[in-house]
Amino acid sequence: MILNEETKQSLLDLARNKGVYLEGNILKVIVPDDPQFSRYLEEARTRDASMRRKRLEITRQVQTQNLDLHEAHKKLEQALLEAENAKSAVEQDLSILQKKTQFRLMHRIVNLSLAVVASVGFISTAVYIFALSRNVDVEHIGTTWASLTGILLTNSFSILGTIMGVKYASERADKD
Amino acid sequence: MLIDSILLVDDESLFHLVFEDACNLLDITLQLMTVTSTDEAEKLCQKWLNNDMKKPDCVFVDLNIIGSSVDGIELVRRINVNYGNGVVIGIISSSTDKKEISKATAAGAQFWIVKSDDIEPRLMKFKEDYEGYKNKTIPFKVYS
Repeated sequence: MILNEETKQSLLDLARNKGVYLEGNILKVIVPDDPQFSRYLEEARTRDASMRRKRLEITRQVQTQNLDLHEAHKKLEQALLEAENAKSAVEQDLSILQKKTQFRLMHRIVNLSLAVVASVGFISTAVYIFALSRNVDVEHIGTTWASLTGILLTNSFSILGTIMGVKYASERADKD
Repeated sequence: MLIDSILLVDDESLFHLVFEDACNLLDITLQLMTVTSTDEAEKLCQKWLNNDMKKPDCVFVDLNIIGSSVDGIELVRRINVNYGNGVVIGIISSSTDKKEISKATAAGAQFWIVKSDDIEPRLMKFKEDYEGYKNKTIPFKVYS
């Protein structure tokens, strides 16, 4: 491609006055036909190549940063996943610990209650037997022993019922 | 030899810029068309068939193109079978998997350029060999 004199002059003026040069692939197809325009094209090509080299460098940097960013994102996702897993493991451990504590407490309460029931039952029965063996009037003691035994049995079943209820409720909560 | 027009099929837009600047600095081509999927590339191929658009002289296809219905090798095969006929075509990929390379050869790829930071020397060698690819006088080559 050969440019006419007027176009060449306009391009030369533009370069001289404003420092603006042709750039891009058009520089590859223009054929210089005079020394001045040849120098202009040479300068334009040098500037274009320098600009493209800079852009290439920046694009490469962005590419590398992009790659790093992508890697960092992957690592972050992996770390998040690990944190989630750790969190659910801790939650599970905590739940087991809570249940263990509850069962220990229940065990203690039941043992204590049963000990009280058994002690009261044992003492009252011992007193009743003692009274019977001494041939003393056991009318009042007998009535009291009978009602006390009834109350103790009722309380024992009540404790057992409460334990079964709590157990059922815990199992159901686990299933839900 | 300056290649009139090149089509680059690659999903990575940043690589389009790298490729464009490298081609410009090495005086490889006058016109570079870029698309980001094999589907877009096939639409262009359809235009070549209908004579709505001039066929590029050379096509560079990435191996794995995210968001495309087919991979790069299948596109190479389709271009060769359905649209190509005379187009110099090859793969440009960061992969050096021998299985993939042999699959590309079977699909009709004429070259394989390994994509990396230092792509200019490979493109320069390709430019030197281009005439041979055009005349089908040189065999398949890997630029790594």
